[in-house]
Amino acid sequence: MKNYIAVVLIVLSLTSCQKEKISIGTNASDTFYVDNAGASMRVLVEGNTSSHTFVLFVAGGPGASSFFYNTDYIKNNIADKYACVFWDQRNSGASQGNSNGSNLNLPQMTDDLKKVIEVIKYRYGENSSVFLLGHSFGGLLTASFMTTGDNQNMVKGWIYADGSHNYPLNDTLTRQMLITVGQQQIAENQNTDQWFPIVDYCESHTGGFSLDESFQLEDYAEQAETLFSVVKQVNLFDLIRQYAIKDNWPLTSILFNYLYSSNDDFNQELAKTDFTSQLYKVTTPTLIMYGEYDFVCPKGLGEDLYNHISSPEKKMVISPISGHDIFLQDQAFFCDQIDQFVLQNK
Amino acid sequence: MRILKYSLLIVMLGLSVEAFPQHQDTVKIIRRSSGLYLSYNSSLIYPGVRAGLELPVETIRFDKLKASGEKKYFVRDRYITINMGWYHHPEFHDNLYLTGGWTMRRTNDKGFFTEFSPEAGFSRTFLGGTTYVVDNNGNVSIRKLAGYFYGLVSVGGGLGYNLEKVKKIPLSVFSKLNLLLMFPYNSTIYLRPALEIGVIYRPVNFLKMRVKSKNRMR
Repeated sequence: MKNYIAVVLIVLSLTSCQKEKISIGTNASDTFYVDNAGASMRVLVEGNTSSHTFVLFVAGGPGASSFFYNTDYIKNNIADKYACVFWDQRNSGASQGNSNGSNLNLPQMTDDLKKVIEVIKYRYGENSSVFLLGHSFGGLLTASFMTTGDNQNMVKGWIYADGSHNYPLNDTLTRQMLITVGQQQIAENQNTDQWFPIVDYCESHTGGFSLDESFQLEDYAEQAETLFSVVKQVNLFDLIRQYAIKDNWPLTSILFNYLYSSNDDFNQELAKTDFTSQLYKVTTPTLIMYGEYDFVCPKGLGEDLYNHISSPEKKMVISPISGHDIFLQDQAFFCDQIDQFVLQNK
Repeated sequence: MRILKYSLLIVMLGLSVEAFPQHQDTVKIIRRSSGLYLSYNSSLIYPGVRAGLELPVETIRFDKLKASGEKKYFVRDRYITINMGWYHHPEFHDNLYLTGGWTMRRTNDKGFFTEFSPEAGFSRTFLGGTTYVVDNNGNVSIRKLAGYFYGLVSVGGGLGYNLEKVKKIPLSVFSKLNLLLMFPYNSTIYLRPALEIGVIYRPVNFLKMRVKSKNRMR
């Protein structure tokens, strides 16, 4: 038995990936982990690390993996110029741990994000320029980060893509948009079978939404963007087929982490979270991007953010063909806007 | 009178069982060598290895006489197993796991077998990249051998061929699909299917165990 253990340990040490590997080049691909409060969070750095400019993707969810953001288009149109950092938040994607559910909360995740940036600067140099990119729930998390202490001094810019910094406002805007657009569509006799129940539901739920109502609005919002042919539909299974083997996705980890995080009690807290009153603290250059057909996080959230931050340099742009996943539904627009913004502010 | 009636019934039942046996067991204790196995243990494209011991506990041979007069038999074996496995999932983790199990194997007279084996044990993962820890002052350090211990249960089923039956070589080849479940993984579970392809070797005199051996007629 001792011999077996020795053999396996030798094999293990031969193949061990824990040796520090820091690649400075135009086509880097480094994976490392950041350990904090019971979670070991996977971080993948891809692309041009010699630029010393890092676009840090903060995924949606909670519980969605950053694997979904690492597309070929982004590799060829952002990662060729800058390094893209794909961070799996605690209890998501390839992040690992034991019984750590009690640490799944927004202040802890804000601290995690700070530590991820500290590790990027430790690895690639203190002179590294970091740009935060928050998508959907990542918008809430980056809003928490940007309005906490002097965290914003750690980054050169904030990119806010289909984000939500104010969940109660988000529910209100989603409801309004579903009613307004739904009534227009019904008047034009478009997809009336789908729109009637959506509009009925929204008209009978007027505010003070419970978590269940909030989830129902989100379901209707996701359904609504599929009713417009101009919006490119995202097929999760196509992404899995295209990237799961190539990028070594741990599929069951992604699935069980997502199921746990999206159903955890901390969603009750998130449903009440509102950073609008804190946004005046933000003075960092900010790029705000939304999809015209985003019912999940309507562009009104972007207007709220734009109107409340104190950044002298701020810009809001709308993709005319995108829903909630602008990085997949209007890739050229998404990458061009990021490229221009980073170039101006790095 | 009633007692006599019941006693007679019981005696008659007993006689009928003896007269028309459905199952006839001959039990004896024999000594049999243990087996060693080694297998390739892959999940999709990710490599791994498993090795272990199977200690025989019980063997039952079932003989049956077919309507055509042909005699057939199959053997049902039970083993306690001690297993060590490892797999490598790049950039995710390496996992080393130790389990104890109970294998139920049924081999026909041509040497083909099917088996089912539940196992339980624990695992230790090694994260697939350098792991950093940052203290509250912003000092960064590297955590060596970063990873986690998990409880692990597994169930597996497979098939194989025992070369000993026909070719008198103390080897079996097998393939088995296992489903590993690790816990608590981020306060939930982690599931991983793994396909094994391997060989079992039974040396003549290796860890000989006292095995309950039965012959049963059908």
